[in-house]
Amino acid sequence: MAHELDQVRTGAAPHWKPENIIGTISLNTLLFSNDYRHIALKGILTAFIMLALGGTFALIFRTELAVPGVQFLGARVYMTLMTLHGMVMVFGFLIPLTISVCYYMIPKVLGTERLAAASIAQWSYWILILASVLLIIGRPDFTWTAYAPMSLRVGGSLVWMGYLAILLVAVSEFLAGIVLWANAMTGLKAAGSWSKLPMMGWGAAILGLLMVVSTIPLGFIGLGLLTDWLEITAWFDPARGGSVKFFLYVFWTYGHPAVYLPFIPAIAILYTLLPRILGRPMWSYWSGVVAFLLLGLFAMPIGPHHFQPLYTISGWYERMIQIFTLLVFIPSVLHVFNWIATIWGDPIARSARNSVPFKFMISAIAFVIYGGATAYVNAQIATDSDFIHNTYWIPAHFHAMFFGFSGQMAFAGFYYLYPYFTGRMYNQKMANSHFWLWQIGLFTKITMMFVAGYTYFPRWVYDYLPLKEWLMPQMMITAAGYFIGLGFLIFIYNVVRSSTHGEPAPDEPWPVEHDNDTVPAPTPAE
Amino acid sequence: MENALGLSGGQELLMTITIAITMLGLIGLALALFMEKRWKLTYNIEYLFIAGLLVMAYYGDWASTSIYKAYQEDLRVTEAVSGKFVEDAERDKKFDRILTVVTFQWGFVFITEDDEISRNAAVVKPGERVLFKIVTNDVIHGFNIPVARITAEIDPGDVRELWIRAPDTPGKYLIQCVNYCGVGHAQMKAWLVVLNKDGEVPTAVLKNGENSDGA
Repeated sequence: MAHELDQVRTGAAPHWKPENIIGTISLNTLLFSNDYRHIALKGILTAFIMLALGGTFALIFRTELAVPGVQFLGARVYMTLMTLHGMVMVFGFLIPLTISVCYYMIPKVLGTERLAAASIAQWSYWILILASVLLIIGRPDFTWTAYAPMSLRVGGSLVWMGYLAILLVAVSEFLAGIVLWANAMTGLKAAGSWSKLPMMGWGAAILGLLMVVSTIPLGFIGLGLLTDWLEITAWFDPARGGSVKFFLYVFWTYGHPAVYLPFIPAIAILYTLLPRILGRPMWSYWSGVVAFLLLGLFAMPIGPHHFQPLYTISGWYERMIQIFTLLVFIPSVLHVFNWIATIWGDPIARSARNSVPFKFMISAIAFVIYGGATAYVNAQIATDSDFIHNTYWIPAHFHAMFFGFSGQMAFAGFYYLYPYFTGRMYNQKMANSHFWLWQIGLFTKITMMFVAGYTYFPRWVYDYLPLKEWLMPQMMITAAGYFIGLGFLIFIYNVVRSSTHGEPAPDEPWPVEHDNDTVPAPTPAE
Repeated sequence: MENALGLSGGQELLMTITIAITMLGLIGLALALFMEKRWKLTYNIEYLFIAGLLVMAYYGDWASTSIYKAYQEDLRVTEAVSGKFVEDAERDKKFDRILTVVTFQWGFVFITEDDEISRNAAVVKPGERVLFKIVTNDVIHGFNIPVARITAEIDPGDVRELWIRAPDTPGKYLIQCVNYCGVGHAQMKAWLVVLNKDGEVPTAVLKNGENSDGA
């Protein structure tokens, strides 16, 4: 089945055969091999460790926030956990996981059978590990946005490790951008022309370009904070002649494309999996390509909507930012429409309805609608100046997009790939429990964050007033956090146990079977 | 309550549109999953969607800009681009009370026109139009009065002017910082104290939103 689809721009030759890679791998191979499967698996497993870390941090501070008053966390420890949660989740979990899943799929889907520039991917990985270690040791408490001059005036002699970590993250992501671009180009060569390039190739090309361009400002932020802190330069501290505005513009020149860094690979994974699981091509190829191009194009200039540039707020510049931000709706809806139209066209195969990746995909689409449509008011200066700017409305929006969409799409990709590197299927019941625990947890958490934001609950506080409109949402967000944590534990148990005890995967782990199929579809000759 | 930025005006419609498009998307997804009859959607439907989105984007931009322009009309902000407060006696006459606000790590100071200084309390009368002239003397701070439905970010070196119409009901209303500004951020709060008819500080309980009964 996959073979036929591969002809229709979802990839070249299949090369999809389950094998037990994980059971036979040596530590040395896992750590240093340049084979695309090993590099991708290493990235995926590391990302899960990061998710466990970031999730544990979140559960600790969510427990503190469940009821007003100070329970067991002081301000500094709370903010350290909050900062590490943000950085570990975005830089350590989301971006590496979505990109690692892409690393695994690109050589198969584009038919190149190897990861181009694999040694650069290796450097990118190890530099990120170094950055993570520095972050955990340095324990900065200046939030992931590190707004100067606040971030230059926090205590602790190890705070320089935080700045250096930001610089290293930038280098790591820059290198990953080169790898993605190089692979898009080898894929292009294999495909023959752009119009034959699978969506995964388009995704890799645009993501690679975006990463290379946008991480340069982030590197400058890391370096600038470090040299400012050492008092060599005075870029960002107004007390010494620097400019906060300069910081804000440079930071968000990275900061807005940064939220697309997990978003674009997640979309590419969806475009790759949906036709395979449904057994039919995408509704429209060119609609997806145009949407990718527009998304990449709009990503760069709209960073300033993250802050409020004073008094240009009603000037032509801010208005232009507002218009461009509103226009991001167009590529996003083109994508979502394409996915829904693909599902719409024919009855959904029984095999698809039962498969866990498909469930995660559908849920991811629902969350991108939920989190994306509410962005209509985020984009507007008037509503932003009313109840949105830095209230819980913002975390609600980005948890829906980051976790609800990008994170869940990466998990769909992982479940899909699972039989290919273990040679076995995961346990369906446990995977279903994982899925439903996450849906309950995510929906509750995100909705309650919207409610809290609408009633002006401020971000970044470890203690809050016992206002009655804040009590219920805060308690429910914490409870939802535990649902997500429990789902994650079940997931990990399933992944570990099924890799040795799961049912052996058939040659085609994802056959498309309809209700009226009496005999399974024959495996196509290759 | 009359306030140019209040959700009671054009913003209510914006929220309705937001909820409507969320529902539209989710219903479309649900139909695609569960309906019996199947057919290939035509490409024209997508063009129709894009046209609808363009209208929505146009309306959003127009609504937001006109709401915010109307709010800023009374402030005469053009002069403030230079980083100095607007020196305009005519403009100042439109407000019943002018308070200069200094934000710092971690708190607010309110200075009246008579140079009376209050740490962490802005004292006003019911229904007054109050102008806040805000600066920060260290890092980026936020300034948010939930009951007045206004949020702002103040960067070092900037002056920021905001106006509100004070609530009619006497009470203590929350003013809070919403930008992370260091470890004391959670304590960075102040009160908008609305005096009662006798000009006394009310014993009423703390209030956040207009309809809140406090806690």
